[in-house]
Parts: sequence; C-alpha cells; structure tokens
Amino acid sequence: MSDSVAGPSTPSRKRSKWQLSDDDELQQLTINPAKRRVKTKHGKEPAVTVPAPPKNIPVARNSLHSVYVPPRTRHPPIIPSRSVYCYERLNQIEEGSYGVVFRAKDKQTGDIVALKKLKLDEEKNGFPITALREVNALMTCRHQNVVGIREVVVGDTLTQVFVVMDFIEHDLKSLLTLMPSPFLQSEIKTLMLQLLSAVKHCHANWILHRDLKTSNLLMNNRGTIMVADFGLARRYGDPVGVGGMTQLVVTLWYRAPEILLGAEKYSTAVDMWSVGCIFAELLLKEPLFQAKNDLELISMIFKLLGPPTNNSWPEYSSLPLAKTITLPSPQPHQFRQKFQYMTTAGIDLLMSMLAYDPAQRISAEEALEHPYFTESPLPKHPDLFGSFPSAAAGEKKRKVFDSPSAPARAADFKLLTEFDMI
Amino acid sequence: MSPTFYPLASLSQIEKTPSRADGIPDDLEEDLRANGCKLIHEAGILLKQKQVAVATAQILFQRFWYVSSMKTFGIGDVGMGALYLASKLEECPLRIRDLINVYDLLSQRAAHSIGPKSSAEFKYAPMSYFGNTFYDIKDAIVVHEMQLLKRLGFNVQVVLPYGTLINYLRLLGLMSREDASTRAWGYLNDALQTPVYALYQIPTIVCAAIYLTTRHLQIILPSEPPHCWWELFDADWEDLWSVCGYIMRLYQERSEHERLRVVGMISKKGVRSWLEEHPSEL
Repeated sequence: MSDSVAGPSTPSRKRSKWQLSDDDELQQLTINPAKRRVKTKHGKEPAVTVPAPPKNIPVARNSLHSVYVPPRTRHPPIIPSRSVYCYERLNQIEEGSYGVVFRAKDKQTGDIVALKKLKLDEEKNGFPITALREVNALMTCRHQNVVGIREVVVGDTLTQVFVVMDFIEHDLKSLLTLMPSPFLQSEIKTLMLQLLSAVKHCHANWILHRDLKTSNLLMNNRGTIMVADFGLARRYGDPVGVGGMTQLVVTLWYRAPEILLGAEKYSTAVDMWSVGCIFAELLLKEPLFQAKNDLELISMIFKLLGPPTNNSWPEYSSLPLAKTITLPSPQPHQFRQKFQYMTTAGIDLLMSMLAYDPAQRISAEEALEHPYFTESPLPKHPDLFGSFPSAAAGEKKRKVFDSPSAPARAADFKLLTEFDMI
Repeated sequence: MSPTFYPLASLSQIEKTPSRADGIPDDLEEDLRANGCKLIHEAGILLKQKQVAVATAQILFQRFWYVSSMKTFGIGDVGMGALYLASKLEECPLRIRDLINVYDLLSQRAAHSIGPKSSAEFKYAPMSYFGNTFYDIKDAIVVHEMQLLKRLGFNVQVVLPYGTLINYLRLLGLMSREDASTRAWGYLNDALQTPVYALYQIPTIVCAAIYLTTRHLQIILPSEPPHCWWELFDADWEDLWSVCGYIMRLYQERSEHERLRVVGMISKKGVRSWLEEHPSEL
C-alpha cells in the first residue's frame, strides 16, 4: 500500500541543513526516512496519494555545494527593520531632491555610516517605485566597488525610512576640483578598472545604473572607488514594464546620444557611454561635454566624434529626433587633438566607450580585457594612493603656509648667523 | 552572475511562528496562508496582472508570517499589500484604484459565502461614491505595503523557480514530454500556496515538483544510491520529501466547515473572534 506524501508542517529537524558545516554534512551518508502519514481532522487519509519513497536515500552529497546552490546558511534570515535610533546622528553631509544624507554612528558597533533619508512624505501611491528600485538594486549588486547597503532602518512613523550605507570619505567630483594636479595615468587605470568591475557586476545582475557621473563615484582614503546613488537604477531585460523606459535619465553631460535622440529602448550601452565620459574627465580634470542643453550637447558630441554615418551608426536615421537635427558636413574625429598625451591603446579604449552605435560600444567585460590596462605604466595599487581631507566627515583642509623665501643676499645670511651666535 | 541570496526563515522562526505563539494552531495557520495566497491569485487574475508579479506577491506574503502574527494583521490586507508591492518590484505597477475595487469585490464575495444568504446568487454592490470604504481600503493597502517592507527588513528579493525548472527538465531529458513539464509547472504554482518558498532553496523545490511528476506519470529516473538524480542539482532528500509533503497537503479534502472557517478569517477581526471562541487552543 502506498503512503501519502505529506510531511510534517515544519521541515525536518535534520541538523546538517541548518546548523552543521559542509564537512559535518559529508559525514552523514545515509538515512532511512520514516514512513509518514497525515491524518485529517476526520481521521481519513488524504485524497491524493503517491508511492512511498525509495529506501536508504543518501542525505549528504559526496561533493561540496556547487556554486549555483550555496549552503542554506548563506541565505539571510527574515529580519524586520531596526529603529533609526540604533544610530547616533553626527552631521549632515548633503541634501538633494531625493532626500537628506547624514553621517551617523552605530551605537552598537561604533561603525561610522551614511544614513540616506528617503522622501516619502507626500506619497499617494504607497512606497515610491523609484526608492524601491534603489534599495533593490543596492541589495542585488553587492560588490567591493559598489557602495555597501547595510540595512534599511525606520523612524517613528511609516514615512521615515533611512538607507544605511558604508560611509565613504570623498566623491570623485570634489577630489578632481580640489586636486592641484590630475591623477597619474597609473592611478586613472586603477580607478577605471574598479569602475568597470562595478559596472560589469551590475550588468551581470541585470541592473542599469543610469546615472553614472564623477559625483556618484565615492572614494575612500585607500584608493578604492565605489559606485553610489542608485536612485535612477532599474532592472533591464524582461519585463520592461508599463510605459517602457523613461528618457529622463542620466545627468546631461554624461547622457548617451541614443537617449538624446529619443530612443525608446536602451540598454547597458548607456552606462558605458557615461563610463567613457568619466574616463575623459579623469584625463582632462574637467567634464568632457559641458553643455547647457541637449542641442548643445549633441553638437559637442558631433564635433568630437565627427557626425554619425551609416557605418558608425546604422540606426541613426530611425531614431525619433534624428529628423529634427541637421548633420554637419563629414569630418574626422578630434580625439588625438583633445587627448594629446594618451597612448594609442588609451585612445582606442576611449573611442570604443564613446562609439555612436550602442551595439558597437564596448561592454564593461570587454573593456576590462583591453590592452590599455596591461601596457606601461601599469595600474597603481590602491593602497599607494594619497589621502585627502574629507569634507563629508567635517575634516578641514590643512592651511597652506607660505614657505619662507630664500635669503636675498649671502651677506644678510652671514649677518643673521653671526647674530645668532652671539 | 553570482547566486542571489534571498531571505529564508530561520529555524527558530519555523519552530514557533508568531501566529502559533498567539495560539493559532499549525493546521489553521497553514490553511489561512493558503487562503491568503488564493486571494492574491484571484485578485491577480481579475487585474490581468503578470504571473511573475502574482507569484512574487505570494512569496512575500508567506515570508511575512514568519515575523508577524495573523492576530495582528489581516490576511486580506497583507495579501493586497503584497500584490501592490510585487507589482512595483516586477515593473508592472497596478493602479491603486483598480486594486481597491478588486479587493472590495473579493471581500464582498467572501462575506456572502459565509452569510445567511450564501445559497443565493452573489451580486456585487459597488462602493458608495460618498462613503469611506474606498479611502479605508486605500489606507489599508498602503499601510500594509509599508508593513511588509518594514517587517521583511526591505529585503524583498525573490527568485522564481520557472527558469530553473526548464533547465532541470532539459538536463533530465524530459522537455519532450509536455505532460511532464506541464504537471511540474503546475506543482510549482500550487507550491506558492504553501510556505516552501520561504523555507527552502529553489533547487530543492524544483526537484520536489519533478519528483512528484515522475511518480505520478511513472517516469523512471535514477533513484538508487549513489546515483540519485536530485543530487545532480544539490537537492537534499529530506528537504525534497518535506516539500512534497507541503504540496500534497494542499490536495487533502476539506470539510465544508473547515472551508468556511478559513473564509471567515480574512480579517484579523475574524481570527481574534476565533481565538476568543477557542481559548483551549492557546
């Protein structure tokens, strides 16, 4: 007679699955599952039955977990949000359209963190989808070069929600402004490798950042950069969602030409265009395209890259706004003139990132393998980067004293020394 | 692409859920969970919502009851909050007005089925234009969406099993058998009414669905040690067997009394009334 397959209402208490390590699990090789029978309230057998399971089924595997099925213990438990009062507020870092960012200290561990307060006050449709995308994207894209989300904490009311992130001392925009001289080639390579690694990871997890720019790249005093502000991030692929993808993405100076020309569908290539603009900014110590509006930006792009052709961008003519723009006469690109001290490999990488056609634009994965990163000078180790005072942490820039001038005449110097010796 | 570490209930949460701590027996909690998921499913169909969003809502709903009690939150409110939240997570946001109307319809239908005129044909009475029902339901949905987020620690990552099922069936050479893939897919859908997605990893649940399919259709796969097919997918026999138990329990015949008892507990008021009538269960 066949037994009904109806296990207990809680998973079996087999310790290996919940508490033991993989090694302990390997020692338990076989088990005889007891026959289980579930009675209904009326003492009847369940209506649907399946044959009894085979005997002596091994519980543990003779090999460790595959990378695709990590041990259950790696999964986080279901834990409610903690109170924001677990943190002590130190100072306000910045305020934007999305909300306020505070520097705070975890009362339990003493860790310094950044608390980003989400704007939820006048929400008629519940929790904003944009805030949800941001939190979800940060939780999905855990990586050493993506700012770490620690948790989301709540205040006294349902509208007080704070994202707790690692506190990072600087943002790249401020650093570029304050630095007396630009980053070295070896340093730029290190920064670019880290940025590309983060972007590759986001794209591998089906996340588009859609707002990559130097002010959204944070850098600590150990030469590590982290991608931050996933406020415009969203999943790409399927489903695209109701109403398609918005064109109001990416800060103007870093916006890809396909978005400028009204493309209804775009993908990972928009982030790669932004990466190209950041690369150029690191080299020039100022933004590549400092345009005031869309039209000016398009003309600046056309000037640097030369106008698009059927070869460089086959889909150009089919874009919604292409008909509204008069193309200038064909001319060669101006990369060599703009970046005089770049190697051929460096120019090639930059041009690959700033390719007109999204399909021809280099991916983050391909860019990481580019010869530019293996030619001399090699990338500098992050630990060898210099450190800077952090404005966000309230550190003051050390006052620069005028160095004393050299003595005007040797005779005066002699007088001084003689005087000192009296 | 690295594996997604979606949240799963801890051993202490499984051994004593908040509802059980409040005196709701195991079988009743399981039936209420299943009923809440059916409610989400029905609402999803009426709203022509995508299957992924409905499935995500059901999984979030199941997770919620490992950190909250049915005495504190109504399954109807949480169910609709979960559906609203999942629609945003899956990039197919619902209009709150539509969700309110559907929730009102389902609530009226449930009330009718346990009312004195349950034998009569159900007729939907639309909300009064000047009444507070619309705003009360709207507030309930928005508040419960926020409660779901807050009590799940904003970790609302969900991995659905369908892609994994296709891969496993292909590897086992069962893709050519339409009856096998349809049945296994059906088991995965039915499993959404159970807590398994909050307890076990996706490969285990998929293997359980395939296991039940092969037993019912009498498909022979290697099941003798040391060559058990589920080990190919890192599934654990004990857990696979337990998942099968959860799924099969759904198909048990319920008496009319048991069915109506659950329908009457869509709100927390219904649960509290039941607890007052059954103090011995505490």
